[in-house]
Amino acid sequence: MGVDLSVDVFGIKFRNPIILASGPVGFGFELMPYLDFSNVGAITLKTVTLKPREGNPPPRLVDSHGGVINSIGLQNPGIEGFVEEIAPRLKELKTIKIGSIAGFSMDEWEILGEEMDKIKEIKIIELNLSCPNVKGKRRWAEDAELTQKVVKIARKLTNKPIIAKLAPDVTDIVEIAKAAVDAGADGLAIGNGIQAMRIDVETGLPVLKLKTGGLGGPAIKPITLAKVFKTREALDVPIIGIGGIMNWQDAIEHAMAGASLLGLGTAVMVDPEAPVRIIEGIKAFLDRKKIESFNKIIGVAHKGGLNVH
Amino acid sequence: MLIEAELKEKKISKDYGLFTFKLYGDLENPEAGQFVMLKASDEPVLAKPFSIYSYKNRELTLFIKRVGRLTGKIFSSPIGEMFYIRGPHGNPYVDLIDGEKQYILVGGGSGIAPLNFFSELHPTMVYEKFYGFKGSYIRELFTEKEQRNLIIEEESGKTVIDVLKDIYSEEIGILACGPVPMLKNLPATSYVSLEAMMGCGIGTCKSCAVKTKKGVKLVCKNGPLFRKEEIIWEWI
Repeated sequence: MGVDLSVDVFGIKFRNPIILASGPVGFGFELMPYLDFSNVGAITLKTVTLKPREGNPPPRLVDSHGGVINSIGLQNPGIEGFVEEIAPRLKELKTIKIGSIAGFSMDEWEILGEEMDKIKEIKIIELNLSCPNVKGKRRWAEDAELTQKVVKIARKLTNKPIIAKLAPDVTDIVEIAKAAVDAGADGLAIGNGIQAMRIDVETGLPVLKLKTGGLGGPAIKPITLAKVFKTREALDVPIIGIGGIMNWQDAIEHAMAGASLLGLGTAVMVDPEAPVRIIEGIKAFLDRKKIESFNKIIGVAHKGGLNVH
Repeated sequence: MLIEAELKEKKISKDYGLFTFKLYGDLENPEAGQFVMLKASDEPVLAKPFSIYSYKNRELTLFIKRVGRLTGKIFSSPIGEMFYIRGPHGNPYVDLIDGEKQYILVGGGSGIAPLNFFSELHPTMVYEKFYGFKGSYIRELFTEKEQRNLIIEEESGKTVIDVLKDIYSEEIGILACGPVPMLKNLPATSYVSLEAMMGCGIGTCKSCAVKTKKGVKLVCKNGPLFRKEEIIWEWI
């Protein structure tokens, strides 16, 4: 039986729901020898800021039970470097490209939005409102009003679909999600790394140079899953579920909670071929359940499940 | 591609050990300086980089110091335990150094791993080997012949840096891998092989950053070998 994995959201047809989340895969080029991009639904590129950033001093990464804590600090060539060096090469990546931007002021968001809008290869723009690793900066997505302001600015600048990438570790994600959608966001990415840290007991000092970072990996899956579920309950808008998806079961759980697309971060860092393995697993699952289309399982946890008797 | 790696042999002396894995797949032409990303079947989630100590006929040997959860697991694993590896990643030393020169290999602790592989593959490029350790217990891991290269502080009161000073001249290159304080004490023109916390090992995740005079580089993608004088050591 042929299983249809394609997903239609934002007026775009994705060949399957597995996308590479922004961050661990950079701009994707180094991954090309290991992963055939025509196998994944999309890639969300590394976040670009207005000015080039060298990122945080090391150590930038430490392992933790059930996951990994990172504090890269948005290392990127800046929007000018991106437009000149990266954008012309994007067609090499044989999948849909989602551009990711992060401003530190409203003016910066405006410039970044304008520039990203001009790049033909970029089909969707993700607003990274939730990077946990920028020193001294509060995350935009901790505040509904600020989230709304940023999305409004972006909405005025582009007709491309806009995704607001939210922080899972906030008091009420639904309030912030609503603010983003009211301001014109076409979709939501839930979520980013959860603020976390480790201390070296021998020295009594934080392991990461920035002290805290963002936790990703299997440890955060049940947490982001609940955020996806709650957001889906309140809002009818496409959601990209991101957080600890390591295997097909995790992916299916996120879809059942309400995610139309499924973002991989830590899984790809550990095994660059993980996307292929997970897609195969989803296909086999649907086949076994005699469900002809992936679309049929999106949000079923809200609608009486799979009707298994 | 992840290759299954079965623990076949282990030889441990306190916090150091030699571990040989039987691979169920090929490492393609591994070179000295390259590393594999090794992970356990479940915890820890993250794969970690290990320099190749030796590789022959799908048998991979790693020289490991017990420091954290993954190395702890490797030390306590019974023979037959399965791990997963991918690689080789990183640049071969021979692609980054002056091929006309001979080199003194200066190693400290687990940093001797890539130097051992270099010496196996390119014996004519090796002028001398100094492998530094603190305690005599390390001798148990080596044959009598291999022990001639050991500089053991507890026995002689000397470090590899002290011994190096006696014979160093500018015509001979230095290829070093070991703890940062050791690397910092080497002549400016030395090639130093860096260790870093890595996520992906292939250049995408930007975890293993090192600041150089030519900007921020990655140990996995641009290294692991750098000129000592190029590195901004305050950042490490």
